[in-house]
Amino acid sequence: MFERFSDDTRKILGFAMEEARYSGDKRLGTDHLLLGALHDPGPAGILGVTLDQARAAAAALDRTALASIGIDTQGFERVTMPSRGKKPPFSSGARSVMEGMLRYAMDRKSRQITTANLLLSLLDREEHDPAAALLNKLGVDRAEVRRRALSS
Amino acid sequence: MRQPRLTGMETDDLSAQIHSLDPAIGLRAVGALHRLAEQVEAAQVRAARHHGWTWEQIGDALGVSRQSVHAKYRE
Repeated sequence: MFERFSDDTRKILGFAMEEARYSGDKRLGTDHLLLGALHDPGPAGILGVTLDQARAAAAALDRTALASIGIDTQGFERVTMPSRGKKPPFSSGARSVMEGMLRYAMDRKSRQITTANLLLSLLDREEHDPAAALLNKLGVDRAEVRRRALSS
Repeated sequence: MRQPRLTGMETDDLSAQIHSLDPAIGLRAVGALHRLAEQVEAAQVRAARHHGWTWEQIGDALGVSRQSVHAKYRE
């Protein structure tokens, strides 16, 4: 599958890996794929969200959740994470997103897997998914974004 | 970061609160704790190296092997 990725899509996967490391996560999740996609002005424009906004929204979700168990991290500044060590493996949700984007490419009889295919697959994530939680927090209108991604 | 408040009555309240949490929030909190631990670890390993701690001392303090902490944090 990876050889069919467009250059843009391949770059996004690299950024997603960096996002996973940057947050200190042990798995590359669907939320990291979303953050990775936002490194690219194409998907960022379609989503109508900036990378900084999405990172801030993810941090806000963490802060609220930690506050609910009595831990106040207000004002905690992110530290630079080491770039060495194991590459985080894909979460099962992230693997599903990979399969979904392949299906979207096949539906369009496209030889290449594009960033629009990735976005559409991310938009399919349902409740209890980290990317879906992030999209909700950001107030993204999924139907509208889907329409824009399909016509891109 | 301010100190978490975990004393007296508030501890009981907090225990009750943790048990009654919506799993969407509670599970997110667990993930956020892991991320926070990684961040604090990265900052503290750097500080310890700066203060002359050996990789072995840092590994022992963290309860992991010297090799794993060195592989992760060597410059």
